[in-house]
Amino acid sequence: MSKRRNWFCGSDEHRISRRGFLSTAAATAGSMSALNLLREPTLAAELKKQDKRVILLWLAGGASQLETWDPKPGRPTGGPFAAIPTSVPGIHISELMPKMAQRMEDTAIIRSLNTKDGSHGGGARMMHLGRRDEATVKFPDLGAVLARELGSVDSKVPDNVSFYTATEGRGNAVGQAGFLGARYLPMSLTTNSKPDDLARLESISELDHKQRHDLRELLSNRFIEYRHSDSLRSHNEAYSRVRGLMASDKLFDISEEPQSIRDRYGPSLFAEQCLIARRLAEAGTPFVKVSRAWWDSHGQNFETHLELVSELDHVMSTLLDDLKQRGLLKKTMVITLAEFGRTPKINGSLGRDHFASAWSCSLSGCGINGGMVYGATDEDGQTVKDGEIDAGDLFATIYEALGIDPHTEYYVGSRPIPLVHEEASAVTEVLA
Amino acid sequence: MTADANNLKVIKEISRRDILFSVVALNETEVFVGSSDSKVHRLNTEDDKAEASELSGHTSYVTGLERVGDRLVSAAYDGKLKWWDLEKKTEIRSVDAHAKWIRRTALSHNGKQLATVSDDMVCRVWDAVNGKCVHELKGHQTVTPNHFPSMLYCCAFSQDDRFLATADRIGHVVVWDLRSGKEVEAIETPEMYTWDPKARIHSIGGVRSLAFSPDGKQLVIGGMGHVGNIDHLGGKARFEIFDWEKGELLHQVTDDSYKGLTERLVFHPSGKWFIAAGGDHSGFVKCVDATTGETITDSKAPSHVHDIRLENEQGKLFTVGHGKIMIWQL
Repeated sequence: MSKRRNWFCGSDEHRISRRGFLSTAAATAGSMSALNLLREPTLAAELKKQDKRVILLWLAGGASQLETWDPKPGRPTGGPFAAIPTSVPGIHISELMPKMAQRMEDTAIIRSLNTKDGSHGGGARMMHLGRRDEATVKFPDLGAVLARELGSVDSKVPDNVSFYTATEGRGNAVGQAGFLGARYLPMSLTTNSKPDDLARLESISELDHKQRHDLRELLSNRFIEYRHSDSLRSHNEAYSRVRGLMASDKLFDISEEPQSIRDRYGPSLFAEQCLIARRLAEAGTPFVKVSRAWWDSHGQNFETHLELVSELDHVMSTLLDDLKQRGLLKKTMVITLAEFGRTPKINGSLGRDHFASAWSCSLSGCGINGGMVYGATDEDGQTVKDGEIDAGDLFATIYEALGIDPHTEYYVGSRPIPLVHEEASAVTEVLA
Repeated sequence: MTADANNLKVIKEISRRDILFSVVALNETEVFVGSSDSKVHRLNTEDDKAEASELSGHTSYVTGLERVGDRLVSAAYDGKLKWWDLEKKTEIRSVDAHAKWIRRTALSHNGKQLATVSDDMVCRVWDAVNGKCVHELKGHQTVTPNHFPSMLYCCAFSQDDRFLATADRIGHVVVWDLRSGKEVEAIETPEMYTWDPKARIHSIGGVRSLAFSPDGKQLVIGGMGHVGNIDHLGGKARFEIFDWEKGELLHQVTDDSYKGLTERLVFHPSGKWFIAAGGDHSGFVKCVDATTGETITDSKAPSHVHDIRLENEQGKLFTVGHGKIMIWQL
């Protein structure tokens, strides 16, 4: 297997013809707002009916591929951990993941990411947006796109939730709706696992609250009737969702779960937030990001990974089991991803540094061809030797697995913006 | 010429491609080192090229080496203890000693017992000659107060071999009476547990070294102090000196000159001073007055020091670490 086939030839003709077609198509859209989808409404409705969700386990700071999905035992770069066989013959992962090793059937490992940006900020943006920033366009991140693509306007639950309760690296935890608008920004939880301001004030009765809501809606609808303003509509839409969101308050309360389930997940913050993520997914939230910080192990990489991978192994395997037992795994994708991996070279503090040239992620559940490894690195993990992909290819794969055409284009003014960069294509081997 | 703390200086430096975790001297010119390549290497330190010959059989980092008569015992992260015939260069015994990584070994002063500590949080004391388990010492918690796996890093015999001290990741130190196999004292060093509940939600650090004074009264405990950024070994090297029978802290020393872990502590036979070594990205070796806790002499090392071996009669100190073997004059 070599570099994957790319259906976009890269020629100007190809690029121009795509854009030309789309420009024409956009013009025919006539009265469509500045941002719109070029697709049949019935298709969009069909997609949403499929009721798919994503839980992203964001390993902030950069987890080591060598201590997780791509071990190199016995090599000078391999570190002290062994590789263990998994329930899928031929696939070995780090000994730090014995529980996931017994649950590989639903998981695809990608070992061939080359994303080139080894800085925390730049890498995190790349792996949230699936592409490089452009000066003139503010792209939406994965969560915003999925909230838009998979969420429902009339949903009673939040459609984009982001946990990042540690402080280190929080600034890199992109939550960006970009040109999709504030409607698709995440509900960000940064200080605890429950939204602070979701509960109704005790000084306002339920009846009062509903009447205020109805009055505000009446006035707002009249006001907007004679005006054309996206921001006003967005504002109105947000308000209309408030009562639904307030009703979702209990989703964040794990005391509502049986103790046996809480015990299965365990007592750590990451475990509790993953349990909430499952509750949200079960209730219909299309995208939840649980950020686990902080994997930046420049010193004592092996001690850090002994702590953090052990936790990831337990929590992730519990989450997959829980989703599966509830019949949710087929429509819920679980992703492990970070801004980059870590250097094969072990530094003087027994640490590993930033490394974006050859690293790994995993995809489980919805739309994924589990029990397989895609791509390969060389014997020391220094370079990708097979199936190199970039962030755009990964995002195309995620979208495709969810039933979203990755070459769908949004319009920002007259400019077509594809969901993924033009050269990107899905890794078909990973798709179910 | 016996070792003198005031003479500390490097006399030879040998570069290696691997990471060395353990060292033991065979004679004045030859050492064995335990390596990240899962092997034990024998080197002549006077040979300019210092070419290694190897003993192989482990499957992970070799973290403990002890000489027992004319045999060598090695311990590794693979959980195995191996006895080697040095003349034939062959393995003569392998014992599945622990379920997880063996972090450290210690040989009793009479050479009869060998202690091993592991991340399975058990300390086992072995008959150093026949490899039979003599004691199984359990008392350290398997998980930290924050629900993560704990680690049992180090152990040390008292001079009379009656007591054995063990220490873990959260700064809990236990002294065991080897006649009864019971815990006789517990000491807490909470500064060495670097749990960060807010910024990073994990920890590094722990107690990495222990040494009893020759008179058996003092117990020195080494690790790293408070660290703000645990991405790196950014805390000051630290050790605490206890009158362990009274549970009384005599001195706590945070090193303003050196950062990182105090990986090894070794008393001079006089009991007047001890050697502390370790580091962060780079390393340090220092000689410390045991009465006052003050530095007598110190020196930066070119790499993190993982193990030291004092050869008092030769006035030599061997240190090994990240890609280096260093020979020091004392």
